[in-house]
Amino acid sequence: MAEISEAQDSDSSKLLDSDSKAPQRPDSEPEFDPKLMRKTKPGLKRLFLTFSVLFSFLLGFPFLWKSVEIYRSPLPFREIDSLSTQLRSETLLFPLHFHTLFVGFDSDPDRLRRSILSEITKLTSQNPKCSDNYTLSVTVDLGSRCLRGSTSSPHSSSYQCGSVTAADFVQNDDVAVDERLASVFGGKTKEYSVAVVKGGSERAVVGKYRHAWMVVGDGSDVGMAALKVAEVLVKVFINGGREEGLIRNEFMPVGADGKIVLSFNLLNADPHDWVYDWDFEKIDDTLLTPMIEALGPVANISVESQVLYHTPKASFSYWNQKLESYVFSTKDLPFFVNSNEWHLDTSIAAGGRSKILQFAVYVPSAKECPLLLQLPNGEISNTNGFISPMWGGVIVWNPQGCLKDSEFKPSAKNIIPIQDLENMFEVFIGQFRQLFGFKSLNVYTGASGDWNLLPSKRGFTEWELDVLSRQHTCFNLHSCATTLGSLSRLVQSLPRMIIKDEIGKQVKLSLEAAKLALSNASSGVYESSAASSSQARSLAEDAFFHPSIMSVSYYSFEHCFAVYSPFFLPVSMHVVLAALRELKRYKQEKAKYLAWKAKANTAT
Amino acid sequence: METFINPKSLFHLLLLPCLLLYSSIAYNSSPVEAAMHTNNWAVLVCTSRFWFNYRHMANTLSLYRTVKRLGIPDERIILMLADDMACNTRNKYPAQVFNNENHRLNLYGDNVEVDYRGYEVTVENFLRVLTGRHETAVPRSKRLLSDEGSHILLYMTGHGGDEFLKFQDSEELQSHDLADAVKQMKEKHRFKELLIMVDTCQAATLFNQLQSPGVLAIGSSMKGENSYSHHLDSDVGVSVVDRFTYYTLAFFERLNIYDNASLSSLFSSYNPSLLMSTAYYRKDLYKRRLEEVPVTNFFGSVMETIHTDAAYKALSRRNSGRFEDEMSLDQSVHHIERRMLIKVNDGNKIHDINPEGEEGACKCPWSTFRNKFQKAENVDSLVNYGLVAMIPLLVISTWLVQ
Repeated sequence: MAEISEAQDSDSSKLLDSDSKAPQRPDSEPEFDPKLMRKTKPGLKRLFLTFSVLFSFLLGFPFLWKSVEIYRSPLPFREIDSLSTQLRSETLLFPLHFHTLFVGFDSDPDRLRRSILSEITKLTSQNPKCSDNYTLSVTVDLGSRCLRGSTSSPHSSSYQCGSVTAADFVQNDDVAVDERLASVFGGKTKEYSVAVVKGGSERAVVGKYRHAWMVVGDGSDVGMAALKVAEVLVKVFINGGREEGLIRNEFMPVGADGKIVLSFNLLNADPHDWVYDWDFEKIDDTLLTPMIEALGPVANISVESQVLYHTPKASFSYWNQKLESYVFSTKDLPFFVNSNEWHLDTSIAAGGRSKILQFAVYVPSAKECPLLLQLPNGEISNTNGFISPMWGGVIVWNPQGCLKDSEFKPSAKNIIPIQDLENMFEVFIGQFRQLFGFKSLNVYTGASGDWNLLPSKRGFTEWELDVLSRQHTCFNLHSCATTLGSLSRLVQSLPRMIIKDEIGKQVKLSLEAAKLALSNASSGVYESSAASSSQARSLAEDAFFHPSIMSVSYYSFEHCFAVYSPFFLPVSMHVVLAALRELKRYKQEKAKYLAWKAKANTAT
Repeated sequence: METFINPKSLFHLLLLPCLLLYSSIAYNSSPVEAAMHTNNWAVLVCTSRFWFNYRHMANTLSLYRTVKRLGIPDERIILMLADDMACNTRNKYPAQVFNNENHRLNLYGDNVEVDYRGYEVTVENFLRVLTGRHETAVPRSKRLLSDEGSHILLYMTGHGGDEFLKFQDSEELQSHDLADAVKQMKEKHRFKELLIMVDTCQAATLFNQLQSPGVLAIGSSMKGENSYSHHLDSDVGVSVVDRFTYYTLAFFERLNIYDNASLSSLFSSYNPSLLMSTAYYRKDLYKRRLEEVPVTNFFGSVMETIHTDAAYKALSRRNSGRFEDEMSLDQSVHHIERRMLIKVNDGNKIHDINPEGEEGACKCPWSTFRNKFQKAENVDSLVNYGLVAMIPLLVISTWLVQ
């Protein structure tokens, strides 16, 4: 302020100077008023100086802005929104092609088709998230010629008339019939076929590919057959033979990064009594590897194994004289796993978001051997095992001859016999299927009759894998969409948060994978849609859980304002004020000068 | 226990991002329909340093011992201790920690796995544990790997005040931060039910901002009340346990893993005249009736089990001793290769992503810029407010000049 007032003083002295000069001049301008006029041009120097300071401030401002700017990788918000609205508004439709072949019947295919379709619609329950868009074609094979339904899918035309005859089904070997049908229907097409054959002993079997067959007696009604066909199509091929029950479909034991680690543990309860070892590698190669390969599209599975000693169980069993064994009641099963002594989670391969499923073989100690599990109805469990959802499974394995306490002297180190090991792993595979919600009984009991289910060497049959893939795709896509939606809202709500390129990249890739999965799902390529959907989900989770997204680490814009304003605002205010004042003064002085000039002009 | 008064004005600015963050999450609501309770987790936090806060570590270790005894395994307990009293030079009983002057029970015996210790116990790490945003190198044992079927017990003790809890004498956890973290956990289905138990002064205020369903909270004291220590151990020289925790432990000492004492019996066991404060519980976000919830749902772990009915008999048709026929030599070689390859592939994946990432970033700087400005609406209004606030300054300065 002082400077400005000083400047005014000097200004007025200047004015005085010009006044003092004035009387020396000849009296050409007698009416010169020094308060309103001046004879010299006002100087530009002061104006120039103040404005140069102001301009340097203005020029510096972009640099300041740039220096406090934070890097935010652009996220495709619009695409994220469109993905979630797409998934929300229209349910994901999976195309399913059904083909029914009637051999030895003489009926109108269109009428059969209508009756099967009406049964199917009765049986299907609508899932709000994902549903199936099925087509049905019916062929009646009369040996020499075929009656085809008027609406038939392009796939079913590949069926050659007369290639399936009643004679094929006479043999008792279901596996051979299955292979035969696989060659007829072309095992590679994504079509679910049911063959209904008249003549022969009654039998209903679901194969391990994508077809089922049913042999009915000579006098049987075609309507009953249609009912049974509809049931196998819906309950087995669409729902996978599962019941809505204990294990919900939401419980997919797959980690958020699409990985599962199967950790197999051999627990020697008391190594003073005996120590058992196993030939794990062999069983891994023969039993687990095919299953892991089959489940490849659904989850990336890795296997680990360990042998642990000193692992007593947490609860007690009691001696049952009649059974000559120790009995553990299933109602005590929740207390079987001794989490303080069983150090199962020792994996170093599993990442933070992978799922570890523990499978434990419990070898009881001498003072509780043999150990059996008793069901609530008093029966003894034939698998001697149980599962805990999302955790894994446990099997109790009793060493041979541990009853004959005196004669039995096990050596220091024993190997579990290979036959026992195989049985054990069959139970483990059963438990693994149970964790996914599948049953392992080889019979499906429906409302209209039983179906034999042929097991696959790979642990899961083709149609079960299809069911898993469809469910997995559906679950993953919805999970991916909600995760990305949360992320985009989070990012938009925190304008001062750094968003690394990595996050932008992950979101972009995740969206691409989700789109690919959507298009694959609608064209019926289940495996690849499951694989890319799990990739989409895993990338979305990676982006959401990126360690750089932490609200406490970032300051708001207000903070930035609060930091810089105490310095910049007072300074800039003075600079602006000075500039305004100078401008005003210059204008005044100029007006004075112009007034004098005008007067001088009129005088001359 | 001394009370800290929150210098609100200072923190006001810092709170806003959390508020924004959490309002953003509020409107995503796709509740998982009554998932099954499958596992239990516990996060036990002691937030204070220094010898005179011995009792906070003793509180936490006592709870640790209790939940472990009731069945939560070590790998599902995240134990955070801000200081190491057992090894403090002033500790007359080196490597031992007691929560009672009778010294009958050493809390720091064998098998205590501390996940976060000393200066690792920060607000940031605590929030990272809750929200799951860890660096990739953080081991599984330090992560809260809960899922939509988890029940989580969150126990915190330390020095608190109105809507904050002090960490390490240097920073605070605000009630907003806690509510925001819980909200994010809910959003990502990281818990089914959450019990927050806090033993600090004015503990109830810490729950004010919670909004997520499925959260039950209990604090040792109401607003304006202090939580006091239970008794002083003249051998150790400091107080060894707080009242609220002491009576909680007294309740649990009577229980074993099979008991079905309900949460309401726990909550009604607190006697205000013994606590010298009012235990407060907030249950408006919690749906189940407290009389029907056993305490082992949070303080213990009872496994959900299903009996396995049948084995998958895929192989029984074939003869035994089939391995040798099935496996040809090169097949087994292939499997070994598979094992080796997994790691190599993982390494490659990281390299693949990087170059593309840079390309994506510099592709459209203009749209970034535009986006930024679209989002800057409320930023503009803030600037305007700031300018309005400057007017008095301007008036004064012009007035001074004239």
